[in-house]
Amino acid sequence: MFLAGDFPNKEAASRAILNLKSEGFNAAELAVFSDEPIEFPRDVLDRPSGMSFAVVTGAITLCLLTIGFVYFTQHNYPIVTGGMPIFSFWATGVVFFELTMLGAIVTTFFWFLRESGLLRRRRAEPAPEVEPGMISLRVDCPANRTDAVRSSLLSAGGGNIRTLEQRR
Amino acid sequence: MATLSKPIPYQEIRTDLWRPLSGASSRYLVVLVVLSAITLWGLCAWAYQLHKGIGVAGIRRPVFWGFYLVDFVFWIGISHAGTLISAILRLTDANWRKPVTRAAEAITVFALMIGGMFPIIHLGRAWLFFWLFPYPNSRLLWPNFRSPLLWDVTAISTYLTGSTIYLFLPLIPDIAQLAQHATGWRRRMYRTLSLGWTGSDRQWHALERAMKLMAAIILAVAVSVHTVVSWDFSMSIAPMWHSSIFGPYFVVGAIFSGIAALLIVMSIIRKAMHLEQYLTPHHFNNLAKLLLLMSLLWLYFTVAENLTAWYGNEPKEMNVFGSRIRGHFAPYFWLMVFCNFVVPFVLLGIRRLRSIFTATIASVTVLIGMWLERFLIIIPTLSFGRLPAAWGGYAPTWVEISITIATFAAMGVLYLLFSKLFPIVAVWEFEPHQGPEA
Repeated sequence: MFLAGDFPNKEAASRAILNLKSEGFNAAELAVFSDEPIEFPRDVLDRPSGMSFAVVTGAITLCLLTIGFVYFTQHNYPIVTGGMPIFSFWATGVVFFELTMLGAIVTTFFWFLRESGLLRRRRAEPAPEVEPGMISLRVDCPANRTDAVRSSLLSAGGGNIRTLEQRR
Repeated sequence: MATLSKPIPYQEIRTDLWRPLSGASSRYLVVLVVLSAITLWGLCAWAYQLHKGIGVAGIRRPVFWGFYLVDFVFWIGISHAGTLISAILRLTDANWRKPVTRAAEAITVFALMIGGMFPIIHLGRAWLFFWLFPYPNSRLLWPNFRSPLLWDVTAISTYLTGSTIYLFLPLIPDIAQLAQHATGWRRRMYRTLSLGWTGSDRQWHALERAMKLMAAIILAVAVSVHTVVSWDFSMSIAPMWHSSIFGPYFVVGAIFSGIAALLIVMSIIRKAMHLEQYLTPHHFNNLAKLLLLMSLLWLYFTVAENLTAWYGNEPKEMNVFGSRIRGHFAPYFWLMVFCNFVVPFVLLGIRRLRSIFTATIASVTVLIGMWLERFLIIIPTLSFGRLPAAWGGYAPTWVEISITIATFAAMGVLYLLFSKLFPIVAVWEFEPHQGPEA
C-alpha cells in the first residue's frame, strides 16, 4: 500500500526520507512529488542515471549505421567508374555528423521517457495531489508498517498523512 | 534599466501566465485573421507557381537563386534564436533566462518550419521533393550524399527534430498542470501531450538530465546547420563565396538575427499579454547587450570578408565587390551597414538611450539589415559571375514578394496559435513563493 505526506520545504522532506531509509526503506520505495524540481543533498534520494552513456551509445550506433548505409549506396551504383572510387569520406562527413547528432537527440528523448517512467503509463502506482509550493512524499510500505511510517513522516514535520488508492 | 525585486506568489505566477490561454480578445482575432489572410495569399501565390511553373518567379540565367534562397538563409538564421540563446544560457545556468527561453525555442521551431519550406518552393516541381529521400530511383541510382543539397536535408531534419524535442520537453510539466485545470478538448489534448506526467522526483531528474544533454547537443547542431547553409555557397568557386570564414560569418549573423527576432517577439508578448512582471527591463537589457555584442562581431566579420577581397584585388572578386560597395547594389549595402551596425551601436551602445523601446527598434532594423545581407551575399555574386558575357540582373516578381511577405505572416499566425495553447513563459521554472528574479 501507499502512504503520502506533505512537507512545506525540502529540509523537512529530506529528514523524512533519511528517517525512512534508516528504518529499512530503500530509494525505490520512496517517491517525491512537487510542482518544481527539488534538489536534495547527495545520499538523500539519489537516482542513478545511465542517460549520458545511452546517448553516446545511440549517437555512435546511428553514426556507424549511416557510414555503412552511405558506403553501401555509393557502391551500389550500377555504373562503371573504371576503378575510380565514388565513396568520399570528407564530402559525406556532414551527413555522418548530422545523423550522429540525430542519434543522440532521439536517444535522449527515449531515454528520458524510459527513466521518467512515462512509457509505463498503465502502472498501478498512485500519484498524490500536490498543493502549489508543497512537497509530497509517497512511501510504498507493507500494511503492517503503516503506523511506523506515519510517525516517521509526522516527526520530520509532515502533515496531511493519507493512504493512496492503488490505480487500476 | 531596473530589475524587479518584489517576490511574486506562485499562485499569482500561474494565474498570470495562464491568463492568455483562456478566451480571445477582439484585437487578437483581428490580428489572427489579417495574418492568416496574408499567409493564405502567399499559399495562393505558391499554388500559382506550381500551376504555371517556376518561370513565374524572377529567377533567370544567370541569377538562379533569388528571393527563395535569401528567405531560406534568413529564416534558418532566425531559427538560431531559440536553441543557441536558450541552450547557452541553460548550460551556463544563467538564471535570468527563465522567462525568455520558451519564447525563443518556439521561434526556432516555427522559423525552421518556414525556412525548411523554401528549398522545396525553390525546386519548382515541389511534388518531386521525395527524390531527396535515400532510396534508389527507377534507374537504381541513390541520392548523392556528397551534394550540399543532401547536407541541407539531413542538417535541417536533425535540427527540426532536435529543436521540437527541446521545446516539448520543458513543456511537459506545464501541460500536465494545465491538464488538471482545463476542460473539454483542451483537457484531452493536454492529457495526451503530458504523457502521464505526475511530477515525481524520478521524472524531474530525468527531465533535468535530458535538458542538459539536449542543450549541449542542440548547440552543436545549431552551429553545424548554419555552417552547412554557408557551405552551400562557399563550396562553389564563385567570386566572394569561396571563403573559409563563411561558416562562422553565417553563424554570427544567425545568432545576431535570432536575438533581434527574440527581442521583437518578447516586446510584443510583453505588451499584448500583460507580462510586464515577468519580461522585465532586466531581460531586455541583457538581450540588448547581447545584440550589441553580436552587432560588433558582425561588423568584424563583414570588414574581414570585404577587406581581404579588396586587398587581394582579384578581378573577378572585384566585380562583385565593386557592385556592392559603389555599384548597383551599393544602396542596399550601406543600408545594411546602417541597420546592422549604426542603429544598434547608437541605440544600445549609449546607455542612456537603451530601453525596451529602443531595443525593439534596433531589433527591427537588424532584421531588415540581415535580410539585406543575405540578399547581398546571393544576388551580386550570381549577377557578376566569372564571364562578363554571362552577367545579368534579377528582379523579383509578385509571386516571390508575396511568398516572402506571407512567411512573416505565417510566423505571426503560428506564434499566435502557440501562445493560445501553451504558456509562453515556463511556469514551473519559477520557484514557488519567489519572484521570477529569484
